[in-house]
Amino acid sequence: MSKKVTFDYWNHLYSNRTEYMFSSEIRDLLALSARPDIISFSGGLPEVRALNFQRLERYVKRIIKTDSDMSLQYSGSDGFYPLKTKLTEVMKLEGIDEVEEDIAITTGGQQALDLLSKVFINPGDVVITEAPSYTGALNSFKSYEAKIEGIEIDSNGMKTSILEKKLDELSKKGIQTKFIYLVPNFSNPSGVTLSLKRRKEILELAKKYNTVILEDNPYGMLRFEGKPIPTIKELDIKGDKHNVIYLSTLSKLLAPGFRIGWVVAPHPILEKIVLGVQSTILCVSTFSQRIAYEYFSDPVWQENIDKFKSIYSTRRNTMLKTLESNFPKGCSWSRPEGGFFIWLKFPKYLNTKELLADAVRNKVAFVPGSGFYANGRGINEARLAYCTEETGRIEKGIKILAGLVKEKIKLYKSFK
Amino acid sequence: MKKNIAVLMGGRSLEREFSIKSGQRISNALRKLGHNVIKMDVNESIVENLNSEKIDLAYIALHGKDGEDGTIQEILEVLGIPYTGPGVYPNVLSFDKIISKQIFISKEIPTPPFYFLNTSSFRELGSSKLLPFIIEKIGLPMVVKPSAQGSALGIRIVNDKESLPEAIIYALSYSKKVILEKFINGVELAVSIIGKNKPRTLPTVEIVPKKKFFDFESRSGVGETDYFVPARLSPEENKIVEQTAIKVNNALKCNRLSRVDMIFDKKEKIPYVLELNTSPGMTDTSLLPMSAEEAGMSFEELVDEIIGMSLEK
Repeated sequence: MSKKVTFDYWNHLYSNRTEYMFSSEIRDLLALSARPDIISFSGGLPEVRALNFQRLERYVKRIIKTDSDMSLQYSGSDGFYPLKTKLTEVMKLEGIDEVEEDIAITTGGQQALDLLSKVFINPGDVVITEAPSYTGALNSFKSYEAKIEGIEIDSNGMKTSILEKKLDELSKKGIQTKFIYLVPNFSNPSGVTLSLKRRKEILELAKKYNTVILEDNPYGMLRFEGKPIPTIKELDIKGDKHNVIYLSTLSKLLAPGFRIGWVVAPHPILEKIVLGVQSTILCVSTFSQRIAYEYFSDPVWQENIDKFKSIYSTRRNTMLKTLESNFPKGCSWSRPEGGFFIWLKFPKYLNTKELLADAVRNKVAFVPGSGFYANGRGINEARLAYCTEETGRIEKGIKILAGLVKEKIKLYKSFK
Repeated sequence: MKKNIAVLMGGRSLEREFSIKSGQRISNALRKLGHNVIKMDVNESIVENLNSEKIDLAYIALHGKDGEDGTIQEILEVLGIPYTGPGVYPNVLSFDKIISKQIFISKEIPTPPFYFLNTSSFRELGSSKLLPFIIEKIGLPMVVKPSAQGSALGIRIVNDKESLPEAIIYALSYSKKVILEKFINGVELAVSIIGKNKPRTLPTVEIVPKKKFFDFESRSGVGETDYFVPARLSPEENKIVEQTAIKVNNALKCNRLSRVDMIFDKKEKIPYVLELNTSPGMTDTSLLPMSAEEAGMSFEELVDEIIGMSLEK
């Protein structure tokens, strides 16, 4: 007697949101990029080898010697207060003037996104993002069953005219936009920076439509050229009611392995986030926070940032130069002034998911564009991370990619 | 008796992740069976690694390129290390779907009518002009797939002539040659075959993808596909299917282990053979272990039988 095979006996118990958790062809192809023989432009992996490991060792030894009791214990759900003091100093360098009480520390920026999703999103709620936008944020919003409205960008970031139209349209339908998510500096994935004019316009729109902005700023301190632009948080000074929730991370300033991020938000929101930390993980790793505190107490950390910037800018220059001299006509790319990523656009017919299969066979990896859109766009777009590979490999990888693109274009044209 | 068994996994193919899942499950089973397991990623150090250990048997848990195209088998032959699954020759024949389909035709084994074209014939010989003729001969819908790739990567079903170029370019991202094959409307089946001198079939698995065909996502995601074991066929139908599978296994000179995939046209009672796999998946959701379980074999018993016959002189 034939029977249906059951792999998972608990299928009837799962929540609807598990439907967003599935494997994909792209994920499996990208898993290959962890192999050393693959030149990987896929992950935005910070160059942690540039850190001074001896100093880190010294910090850890000092903690164990002088404060092992406390540093190995649970700590407050809002975060380690002395680290918050250091974070206020870090933010001051970007023009943000806040006190420790305005900060909640999270396990990486990603947990901040998860908690903010939990705080704001009911199933079916509308949130607005740049299109393309950071996949980790999109996935977090989707997992809480948000309806994501992506707003097109250009070289100055999110197009405010389109944003206004969308907010107006939603408002007329009686739909409250829960938040506008932005990575204003050297955005992931586009590498584009939101102009000052548009920052001001978006802030005004948030106020007009009574919503908040999630300003995610992981890369702001990694500017290699051009003048820094004030954060939206810094611009949000008028009146008592503030509309910006500011997020950042130590993943790019120190190392992602510590898993430390933070949120600055109006107090009622902050309280909910702290309760969220409490109910999910009790507290962020005390030991990680202690090491981070030591790191930012040592003035050398600012020299490390200069070192990071010098490495990343050299790599960006190599990638841009190699793209310029090898990529065929019909392709275009962003020119980031900082951060980790370049966004590539290919001719409309060139599917980057297919190009990835070819590229991986030829030992190069990148991320196809469609994963950065909530609605299946971005088929002919791709993200290249220049932060991870050394210049020689960047040159080699881009040349291989250029060759494959030329072949694809030729193949496509053979059907015309 | 306790053996030193190298489980060869990972590798350079696009199915690396699948292979790691299979390899880990096999390694656990081998440990439970009391063997000493040495896991090996198949990379530039593989020959050196195989040489530096005393190995009684290599368990090939690789899928796709290197693992199912005769490459790793030839390396093991040179080193004189016994290995699981079929030998070099059957791997070479089955990995290229064009060669294996030609063999099916020569042995009068039904296989969907097809044409193949390669990248350079499109780029340099204007083969795109052949497409209207191919559509006329094969008809639509048509299956467009790479000639050498597993796990349904690069496959599309094309319903209209406008979508054909895109599907061809997609398939050619995975292989230098593309197969344009008649779409057969029928029941998708997988027949696993095990045994050295007297190969036997395990219960046939029927595959019912929730999407229109058994693509990569359907294969890898739990709940994306329904499976029925044994397949919902009459005894006569199942006999035709099993006999055909054995015929395919023998035609490609396979021994020890294989899985034959086919589409059964219930109306005409014709089993159209698509391909033979020499290193069937061994993950939690793979077809061979599913079939073995129906035959009353646990996963450990299946692994034990596979290594037992591979160790026999």
